[in-house]
Amino acid sequence: MSVQDPCDHCGLPIPEADLVVDHIQGKDHRFCCHGCQGAYRIITGSGLGDFYQRRDWSETGLPQGAYENLYDDAALQAYVFPTTGGAEISLLLEGIHCASCVWLNEKYLSSLDGVHEARVNYGTHRARVQFDPARVRPSELFDAIAGIGYLPRPYSADNAQLAADRERRSLLTRFGTAVFLSMQLMGYSLALYAGYFQGMDPKAQTIIQWFAGGVTTPVVFYAGWPFLTGAWRSVRNRAPNMDLLIGLGVLAAYGYSVYALIAGGEVFFDTAAMIVTLILAGRLFEGAARRQAGAGVDRLLRLAPSRCKRWIGSATEEIDTSQVQIGDRLLISPGERFPVDGTLETGPTEIDEAAVTGEPLPVTRNTGEEVLSGTMNLASAVTLCVTHPATESFIARVSRLVEEAQARQAPVQRMADQVAAWFVPCVLLVACATALYWGTTADPTLAVLRAVAVLVVACPCALGLATPTAVLVATGAAAENGILFRGGDILEKTGRLTTAAFDKTGTLTRGKPQVVSIHPLGVSESFLLQTAAEAEWGASHPLAQGILSAARERGVKIPPTQGGTVMPGRGVEKRTDRGVLRVGSALFLQEAGIELPQHDLATDATEVHIAQNEIYLGAIILNDLIRPGATDCLRRLQKSGLNTALLTGDRQTTGERIGKPLGIGQIEGGLSPEQKARWIETQEKNGRKVIMVGDGINDAPALSTASVGCAMAGGTDIALETSDLVLTKPELGRVADAVQLAQKALRIIRQNLFWAFIYNLTAIPLAISGNLAPIHAAGAMALSSICVVGNSLRLKRALPRRTSC
Amino acid sequence: MLSSTLILIILSLFLGAGVWLFFVWAVRKGEFDDTERAKYRMLDDDDLPQEVKNEGKKKTDD
Repeated sequence: MSVQDPCDHCGLPIPEADLVVDHIQGKDHRFCCHGCQGAYRIITGSGLGDFYQRRDWSETGLPQGAYENLYDDAALQAYVFPTTGGAEISLLLEGIHCASCVWLNEKYLSSLDGVHEARVNYGTHRARVQFDPARVRPSELFDAIAGIGYLPRPYSADNAQLAADRERRSLLTRFGTAVFLSMQLMGYSLALYAGYFQGMDPKAQTIIQWFAGGVTTPVVFYAGWPFLTGAWRSVRNRAPNMDLLIGLGVLAAYGYSVYALIAGGEVFFDTAAMIVTLILAGRLFEGAARRQAGAGVDRLLRLAPSRCKRWIGSATEEIDTSQVQIGDRLLISPGERFPVDGTLETGPTEIDEAAVTGEPLPVTRNTGEEVLSGTMNLASAVTLCVTHPATESFIARVSRLVEEAQARQAPVQRMADQVAAWFVPCVLLVACATALYWGTTADPTLAVLRAVAVLVVACPCALGLATPTAVLVATGAAAENGILFRGGDILEKTGRLTTAAFDKTGTLTRGKPQVVSIHPLGVSESFLLQTAAEAEWGASHPLAQGILSAARERGVKIPPTQGGTVMPGRGVEKRTDRGVLRVGSALFLQEAGIELPQHDLATDATEVHIAQNEIYLGAIILNDLIRPGATDCLRRLQKSGLNTALLTGDRQTTGERIGKPLGIGQIEGGLSPEQKARWIETQEKNGRKVIMVGDGINDAPALSTASVGCAMAGGTDIALETSDLVLTKPELGRVADAVQLAQKALRIIRQNLFWAFIYNLTAIPLAISGNLAPIHAAGAMALSSICVVGNSLRLKRALPRRTSC
Repeated sequence: MLSSTLILIILSLFLGAGVWLFFVWAVRKGEFDDTERAKYRMLDDDDLPQEVKNEGKKKTDD
C-alpha cells in the first residue's frame, strides 16, 4: 500500500503523522483520524458497508468537530411532534452529497432501536424520522447521525412552506382528476364524432352526451376552480388577464354544451375539459421548475447554527442563537460556523468565507478583526465578541437585501396577459353585438346561440397554450442541459437581453490558483517544486493544493514526511533532514532573516517563496486561470447580438489582462458590490437588458439588480438564491446556450400567438354570420392547438444534446 | 346492443374511479413529494439473493 492512499472513509490524503490503522472485518483499513475510523466502524458494523462502493463523490467531507453535541433533549423537544404510535422530528442534514448519502442515513437511522421510519428528501436534504420516544431520545438520533459523519440540525417548517406544500398537492390532485376524467371523456367524444359523420341512434347519442356532460362537470368546477376564482378576481379588479380568458372560454363551451344537451344538438364538452387539463399541466411543470431552482433556500437560512456556547466566567453554557446579545462572548470551536457577527477576542485563526463571499481561499483573521455569521472557523478555537444580534447578523441583512431587491422589480407582465387585456373586452363586445344584431332580425334563441358560438370560437385554446407550452418545452430542454430557468418570466427576459456582464474571480476564472511559472535561483525547477511540495505536504490551503497538484502533474516525487507547522496567512515551516524548509510569503521569509533578491516579477499573481535554511531557492507563481469555454461563450454571446462587459473588484489592469484576450467590450475594474449594482442600474435605465453572471455574495446586489441574475454552481447557496438562471455545472458555455434557447423560445411564442390569432380572426366572422357549425369549430380548434403544440415541441431540439451530463 | 354498451361504459367509469381513488390516496400519502427519489430506488439492492451478495463481497475482497 503506497503512502498516497487516501483515507478509507473520507477519501482525503492522510497526513503521515495522523495515520490510523485499524483491523476491521478481516482487512486493514487506513484512516486520517479517529473520527473517520469511528464512522467507518459504525457504518460497516451496521452491515451498511455497501456505502463505500455506492458513493460517487470526491468532495471533502465535513471538518472534524463540526458537530459539538449542541443539542440536548430539552432544546430538541420543541421540534418533536407526537404522532399516532410515537413521535416525529424533522431534521436538516448537512454534508449530503449524493444518493448514497441519503441511502446511508435512511438505512442507518431505520436500523436504530426505536426508530419506525426514516425518510430523507433528495432535493431538500430534509429528513423525517418517526420514532418511539420511550425507546430512543431525539439527542440519540442526532448523535447517531453525527457519528456517521453528517451534521444534523433541527428543522421546523414555517407556515409559508406548509401552505406552499398544500398548494402543490391540491394542484396535483386537480390535475390528476382532470386527466382521468378527460380520458373517459375522449372515449365518449370519439363515439359522438363518429356518430356525427356516420349517423347514430339518437337515443344512444343522448345517453353518451349525458355521460360526457357528467364527467366534464367536475373537470370544470373542481379541476378548473383555480381559473374560475382567478377569473372572478380579475373581473373584480377590472384587470382582464389570462385566467379570465380561460375561465370565459371554458364556461362558454360548457354552458353551450349543457344548453345543447337539453335542447338537442351537438355538444363539445371535450373542448372545455382539454383547456383545463392542458393548462393545469403547464402550471404544474412551471411550479416544479421553480421549486427545483429554489432548493437552496432552507440551507441558506440555516447556514448559521441555531445554538452556540456562551462564556460565563471561565465556563460555557449553551444557549439559543436568538438569545445572544451584543457584548456576549461566545466560544467557537474549529469546524463550527459563526452564529452571529462579531469581533475576534483571541486569534489568529483561518476562516472559510466561501459560503458568504465566494472567496475560495481561507482568510486569516487576527484579534480585533470582524468576522461574519455563516463563515466557518478552520484553525483554532476562538472567542467571539458579539457586535450584532442574530436578527441583524450579516446573513439576515443579506437575506433582507435580496428580498427587497426582488420585490422592487416590477411584476412581470406575461405576454399572454397583455394580449388578454384587450382581447377579452373585444370578444365580449363582438359577442354582445352579435346577440343584438340577430336579436333584432331573427328569434332571440338563435341570437343567444350565435353569441355563445362567438365566445366558444374565440376560446383561447390555442392562445392559452401558445405561451405555456413553449415555456414548458424550453425549460425542460434547458433543464436536461443543466440550465434552470426560475420560471417563464425569466425565460422571456433572457430572450430580450442586450448586455452580458461577468464577474471575474470564480466566474470567468476557475477560482482555484494553479502554478503558472517557476522561478528557481541556482537550482532546477523540479527541485524547487519538490522542496515546496515537501513542505506543503498534507496542508489543505488552496495555494498548497495548487503546488501539490502541479508537482503530481509533473511527476515530481514527494518524499513522505510529517506535516509542517502552518503559520496562518504566512506560510509553512518544516524541519527535515536537510534543514528547515520555509514556504510562504516574502514577508514570512524576511521575518525569518532570509534575504530575498530584488526582482520584479511584476504580475498581479500570487508569489510563493521558498527557502532552505537561510538560502533562498526561488519563487513559484500561482494564478487563477481562465475557465475553459470562456472564449467560446463570449464569441457566441456576441454573435447572438449581446454586448459584453467585465465587472471586477480587482484592479483595472487585472481586469484587462483577463478581459482583453476574451474580446470583452467593456472592462470596469475596482468596483465594490454596490458600484457593480449601480453600473447595472445605469445600463438598465438606458434601456438595456443586462444579465449578470457571478458566483458570490459580492455579486448578490448586482445579481438582483440585473434583469437576469445567473450564478455559476459551485457557487454559494446565497448566490443560488439570488439568481434567476441557475447553472448546475459551472460551464460558461451554458450561459450562451441559455441565451440562444431563450431567444428561440421567444420567436416560437410569437409564431404561436400569430397562428392562434389567425385562427380566431378567420373563425369569429364565420361564427358571427352563423355559418360555422359547432362540430367544425371544434375540429378547427383542435387543429390550431396541435399546430401550436407542435411548433413548441421544436424547442426540444434547440440545444445540442450533450454526451456527458 | 345499447344496454351492453351502457354496461361497458359504466364498467369503465368504475375502473377509472378506482384508479383515481388510488391516485388521490398516493398524493395524500406524499408519494409525489420527492420525485427525485424514484430513480435511485432500484439501486437499493437490499433484496438481492444472499449468494449474489456474497459473490460481490468476494470480488471486492480480492
